[in-house]
Amino acid sequence: MLYFLGYPQNGHRRGVRARLMRLFPCSTAKKPSASNQNSVEDELELSAVRHRPEGLEQLEAQTRFSRKELQILYRGFKNECPSGVVNEDTFKDIYAQFFPQGDASTYAHFLFNAFDTDHNGSVSFEDFVMGLSILLRGTVQEKLNWAFNLYDINKDGYITKEEMLDIMKAIYDMMGKCTYPVLKEETPRQHVEIFFQKMDKNKDGVVTIDEFIDCCQNDENIMRSMHLFENVI
Amino acid sequence: MAAGVAAWLPFARAAAIGWMPVASAPMPVPPKDKRRAKDGLIVLNVSGTKFQTWRNTLERYPDTLLGSTERDFFYHEESNEYFFDRDPDIFRHILNFYRTGKLHYPRHECISAYDEELAFFGIIPEIIGDCCYEEYKDRRRENQERIQDDEEIDQSNDMVQQDMTFRESMWRAFENPHTSTMALVFYYVTGFFIAVSVLANVVETVPCGTAPNRVKEVSCGERYALAFFCLDTACVMIFTVEYLLRLLAAPSRYKFVKSVMSIIDVVAIMPYYIGLVMTDNEDVSGAFVTLRVFRVFRIFKFSRHSAGLRILGYTLKSCASELGFLLFSLTMAIIIFATVMFYAEKGSSGSKFTSIPAAFWYTIVTMTTLGYGDMVPKTIIGKIFGSICSLSGVLVIALPVPVIVSNFSRIYHQSQRAEKRRAQKKTRLARIRAVKSGGANAYLQYKRNGLLIDASKEAGQALVCKTNPTFDIQHHHLLHCLEKTTNHEFVDEKTYEESCMEVSMVKQTSRSSSISSSPHGLTCCSRRKRKSFNVPNSNMSVGLQGSVQELSTIQIRERPISNSRSSLNAKFEETVPLNCDQPYITAAVISMPTPPVTTPEGDESASSTDYSQANIVRVSAL
Repeated sequence: MLYFLGYPQNGHRRGVRARLMRLFPCSTAKKPSASNQNSVEDELELSAVRHRPEGLEQLEAQTRFSRKELQILYRGFKNECPSGVVNEDTFKDIYAQFFPQGDASTYAHFLFNAFDTDHNGSVSFEDFVMGLSILLRGTVQEKLNWAFNLYDINKDGYITKEEMLDIMKAIYDMMGKCTYPVLKEETPRQHVEIFFQKMDKNKDGVVTIDEFIDCCQNDENIMRSMHLFENVI
Repeated sequence: MAAGVAAWLPFARAAAIGWMPVASAPMPVPPKDKRRAKDGLIVLNVSGTKFQTWRNTLERYPDTLLGSTERDFFYHEESNEYFFDRDPDIFRHILNFYRTGKLHYPRHECISAYDEELAFFGIIPEIIGDCCYEEYKDRRRENQERIQDDEEIDQSNDMVQQDMTFRESMWRAFENPHTSTMALVFYYVTGFFIAVSVLANVVETVPCGTAPNRVKEVSCGERYALAFFCLDTACVMIFTVEYLLRLLAAPSRYKFVKSVMSIIDVVAIMPYYIGLVMTDNEDVSGAFVTLRVFRVFRIFKFSRHSAGLRILGYTLKSCASELGFLLFSLTMAIIIFATVMFYAEKGSSGSKFTSIPAAFWYTIVTMTTLGYGDMVPKTIIGKIFGSICSLSGVLVIALPVPVIVSNFSRIYHQSQRAEKRRAQKKTRLARIRAVKSGGANAYLQYKRNGLLIDASKEAGQALVCKTNPTFDIQHHHLLHCLEKTTNHEFVDEKTYEESCMEVSMVKQTSRSSSISSSPHGLTCCSRRKRKSFNVPNSNMSVGLQGSVQELSTIQIRERPISNSRSSLNAKFEETVPLNCDQPYITAAVISMPTPPVTTPEGDESASSTDYSQANIVRVSAL
């Protein structure tokens, strides 16, 4: 999997060195072939990346979806990703198709990290369905937990202003250029200020999970919107 | 949007929960999920070959035959399937389009059969995927050209003579000599005279034996001057008559005069007439002699008779860049070596290398391996550089020339193909952009129509609107949520540019306490009015009544296009909290007398201090 992620860089570096080596006729001949072999292995590794999900019964037990719903979800998932896993680029492509006017890649990156719970660089069907189960069938507590996890980019349990600013910029990026009123530079920053004013009760510059959940549960709008997408599947 | 992605819409909507805690405005109501029809298998029987697919797969594209209710016409009750009396092989590709979202073109299929099938099933061929699109377009164009050629030949063959005017028939006779015997005779006669004229020019200069009382040999031209002059006159007369006839018969005289062939004609006969005018003046007889050189251009008149010559000329013209580069690199090498040889041979006495331009001749002769021997280096260093020059001449010229010649034809064909692809790419990108903006526009339209629908449902109006598929409604709701989260709206390019312009204009107007506001009429020509509104902005300084705040300028902007009051009210309810939450927009409404300029409907929506009539009030540059 690591090869899969790091492959282009390593290959490139090896390629330059190999080329330089080849210019000098006295260089050891085995160097280039070793790199060739590595790249061949990488190729095999790439093509061998296939993933079969756990059985239907296990997934049914782990998530809150019914059998039929899991079937529909899997069919859609496998249609777009025949190899059974979504890597970050495909994920970004798919998500970007829903927001043609803006640039959804940054937010898709954060979303990807939120779904990729075991941080192995790809989202398998299990990850996908677990995430959806929380989002669509979970309790409000679980949903808020998930949202906190999304905002907490480095997963240290605190949302700092910088992290929130990144997230906010990513959201505003999705709007694109042609908006009304015209998007200004300081709009995301102002939005972050509003957010922190609301959420950061003890004014220590970070938002913890308890402050977050507390504050959201007291906000009527947020509570109402949590139930918005319950009947999506 | 690819059909497969439709399956991910639930995921995108679920992920929208991530926006909820940061949203500053309440979210719009989600669309009611229409009771989803049970997803069942559909059997499609195409001339005996049975295809099966999910109903949802077909309904991804509701504006095609299979995705809409049009397929009910083909329903066969006895066998409980849909029967189509069409080609099953091509149908396979059409069904794959529903499954994968990409339409492919099979190369072995006839283009017109494929087009017919696409037309039958209501699929536009523009969505053919990138992998097959070039091939498809090429085949299509070939087919059309073939049809056109056939038509032209048919037309020209059975064009009735009497229908054309004399002028048109004459032009046709000139352009296609094979149409009538007269034209053919004319064609051959002119050809013969061109040959005679060229031959006379050549023979004129051959030495013909001595004249009676001269020692030196004279050329035939001088000996038989009168004969040659008569011959020349006859030829020129024929050419002149031909040119005038062509000019008369041409459908567009201006275009004819500009064309290459007519220029050649003129250049061919001009020297004779100039010579006629100038024979008595001794001073310019030298120039007159030079002019006779131009008579050789008569040989180019043969290009009307030979298609091959025309193609050669065209080829040279289109490969000018490659030839130009060859010439450029040669020039570089020549200059380098000429310089070197000049400085090398500077020392030797009696050297022919008197200057660098003089050394050019040596370099060219050496590099092309001609080696006349009229200029040779005498110093040792000169000889060394001379040998380097001739060796590199072999490399610079003799090696690349065959390579260039073969590259030539390859590059030529390739550039033709690249041009084609580039032209196609531009239109394709334009179309893709149109589809993308169509998607965005669809959302903007949904905002106009969608809310209309909600409002009118209460009013009991039955609005005619195309049944939006469920996917679109849900997708638009998702985009609406994003708008609410960020408190900004999607608009189209035009509106955005206008708002940018107005922002800059607003910044220009001074910070006086001149206030102006003009509520716009609720008609849709808002853009025009908005523009005219800005002009009186700076002129107006009006006293106010009522509650007033110190403001520099206010712009009252209305929604891009709004068609009815009901929609306005419906939207307005939503925008009230919007305005209150914005920290940087201070609400301010001024009551003022209606401005004399701008809208004729100004009094209909007369200024008032309450929100119910003004639209969104936006204050800028406070």
